[in-house]
Amino acid sequence: MIKRVLSFCTVVFGVLSLTFLLIHLVPGDPVEVMLGESASTADREVLRAELGLNQSVASQFGLYLSRLAHADFGVSIHSKTPIIDLIKNRYPATLKLALLALLIGVGVGVPLGIYAALKAGHWQDLLVTIVSVRLSAMPAFWLGPMLMLIFAVWLAILPVSGMDSPSSIILPALTLGFGLSAILTRMTRTSLLEVLNEDFIRTARAKGLTERQVILRHALRAALLPIITIVGLQMGSLLAGTVITETIFSWDGIGRLLVESIEKRDYPVTQACVLLVALSYVVVNVLTDLLYRLADPRIRLGH
Amino acid sequence: MCLIQRLLIGLLMCSMLIFSACKPTTSSFAPINKASSRPEIVFAISQAPLNLDPRYASDAASERLNRLLYQSLVDFDIHTKPQPSLATWQQLSPLSYRFTLNEKRRPFYYPPGAGRKAKARKLTAYDVKATYDSITAFTDSPHSAEFSNLKNIVVFDERTVLFHLILPDRHFPAKLVLGILPAELVKIKHDFAHNPIGSGPLVLHDSHNKLRLQRLDDGQRISLIEVKDPTVRMLKLVHAEVDMIQGDLPPESLSYLQSKPTLTVKTSVGVNFSYLGLNMQDPQLKKLKVRQALAHAIDRQAIIDKVMLRHSRLGGAILPPEHYAQRQTLDAYAYDPPLARRLLQEAGVRLPLKLVYKTSTDAQRLRLATIMQAQMRVAGIDLEIRSLDWATFFAEIKQGNFQLYGLTWVGVKTPEIYGQAFASDSLPPKGFNRGRYQDAELDKLLSTADWRAVTQRIHQQLPYIPLWYEGQFAAMQKGIQNYSPKADGNWDDLATISAYAH
Repeated sequence: MIKRVLSFCTVVFGVLSLTFLLIHLVPGDPVEVMLGESASTADREVLRAELGLNQSVASQFGLYLSRLAHADFGVSIHSKTPIIDLIKNRYPATLKLALLALLIGVGVGVPLGIYAALKAGHWQDLLVTIVSVRLSAMPAFWLGPMLMLIFAVWLAILPVSGMDSPSSIILPALTLGFGLSAILTRMTRTSLLEVLNEDFIRTARAKGLTERQVILRHALRAALLPIITIVGLQMGSLLAGTVITETIFSWDGIGRLLVESIEKRDYPVTQACVLLVALSYVVVNVLTDLLYRLADPRIRLGH
Repeated sequence: MCLIQRLLIGLLMCSMLIFSACKPTTSSFAPINKASSRPEIVFAISQAPLNLDPRYASDAASERLNRLLYQSLVDFDIHTKPQPSLATWQQLSPLSYRFTLNEKRRPFYYPPGAGRKAKARKLTAYDVKATYDSITAFTDSPHSAEFSNLKNIVVFDERTVLFHLILPDRHFPAKLVLGILPAELVKIKHDFAHNPIGSGPLVLHDSHNKLRLQRLDDGQRISLIEVKDPTVRMLKLVHAEVDMIQGDLPPESLSYLQSKPTLTVKTSVGVNFSYLGLNMQDPQLKKLKVRQALAHAIDRQAIIDKVMLRHSRLGGAILPPEHYAQRQTLDAYAYDPPLARRLLQEAGVRLPLKLVYKTSTDAQRLRLATIMQAQMRVAGIDLEIRSLDWATFFAEIKQGNFQLYGLTWVGVKTPEIYGQAFASDSLPPKGFNRGRYQDAELDKLLSTADWRAVTQRIHQQLPYIPLWYEGQFAAMQKGIQNYSPKADGNWDDLATISAYAH
């Protein structure tokens, strides 16, 4: 457990320092963005001092860490809004979208993968494989507008974009979920096919268990580990904010906030968003480890 | 219960949680003055306003909205000449101006539940002083520099205020366009950025997810929602999820919208000037013949006709021909690739001339860049396009790290721009002379403020290649009335817009 906490802290510290360094290396100056071109050099220097940007990068980083230790994320340079408020507004939206996309991905991908594995070599398997390969090859910037065109413009059963009605989440979630389901279908099929040839499956069948029991209780459980790995990784990316989907569907999530802050060189917001994303990844990894343990009791944390 | 069943139950619970979190938001919209049965007008915009405090706002969306939330002392007529808005003025001496508030001023609107016993009161000279004093005191406002020439502000009486300057400035009234705030709220450092309180025709009602506004006179509700993607913005209009959109669409999308019987598309001329910036320290570009060759190598009219909005027009100078300081039509550089090629050869350039063109990542800008690249190739110019994210691109331009770049001057009102953009002493960071242009002759003309001669000289010397003034448009549902796009893209007609149920 101590080892895990230490590795958690190392990852977060690594992400923080790397982001801090990178954001100060890229061209573009928040003072220039804030004051415009007509500001005098003296005014620029005063503001630079106020924001602490006249100090060395190391001192700025130290100051940032000490503020962070007091849970002070600061305020947005541009909108003057406390960053914690921005995150409180945006992160739940990303969380909702990510969870629903995951639900669609798992709900569609795993059963399809099982079906394809059971029908391996038949036309049904080929069909599922073709569909999943096609789906995984569709980028969100294409799939999103296509779904909009079909469901919102032609069929007029869902809103084009926005966050006004409960149904607004469906199209962005489908855009993300379809891609995820395609990956999970392929992974489930491959993993299950491997397991189905194992001795313990033959034994289960010999014991007289029904095929349903063999698949759901024994084979799928054994095939779950790689699926959990993929789900964990994908959930991490979903929580990092799926910028393109959020932008297309006007979904006010953390990904859009991050990109907007980078465009405006709003350093404090960028750092807070990256920190949140890093924490999300770490938490998802911990949860994935716990799921491993649940799926296979032989796996113990730290071993 | 087996693991799979447990997982399925978990997934089901997750889905229930997600949908329970997606309850429809109930509108807290309450009519202000009159019970309004008018349908709400939803306006989709490409970029939400960043700051509703006029002392900080510098992005186009914030400035457009702030014109409706607050009132300013001065506005502009169709020739961009400063004209009285809240106040008339008199120049008492080269260093002082007297502004007298008129009866057009409205009372400040304090929303119910603001936690104060404020009674609606008319804007006074004390509010003017408090607003401009606070701007000069700020260290982080983009407008502070503009008022660095302000010595002090003296309130003469409730309606009269005197502005004293450090140095003479004949364009000073044109700078007093910022919204006036209530003095007592300025004093307590009220958060105008999120809770704007002004005396404009609209008030902000709610800013959660979208900006909900209400017109004070008749209770008309207007919502502004940000939809960044142009295709999505267009689809939302077609699907009647929004009532109107304005600007930032590729021209072919506009043709599509024009074909829809349920929509109305209105266009107008624009005043925002697009140009190719040149680095005058570059060994090739410092030669006048090379610059002339570039001007003759671009077929602007063909670009305007094929890939730009209707009402886009050729540009000659930063200020449009109808501007009071311009009032002249400059001869356009005709598209003539053989002439361009000959000019390059006369300048001693080995063909093809290789140049790097920097632009932003905006799709329409890139598209225009590729067209110009193809046109210039015919004239013996090999243009390499580099697109950069906005902050990086702009930083490179200001540092002089470029050969050619494409930009647009937005919201320019006074001829002072020529001095700021081309005077020898206006190099960044002091001014906007990003091309590092040095011309003693032009400096002399700038000091006499002979703007016709100034623009002629610039047009002849080509420190930039003039391109065009892009047209403006607004597309709306048939039921929307009293709204037209304006040359500078402002949203002033939201003060009069109306909708009937359709």
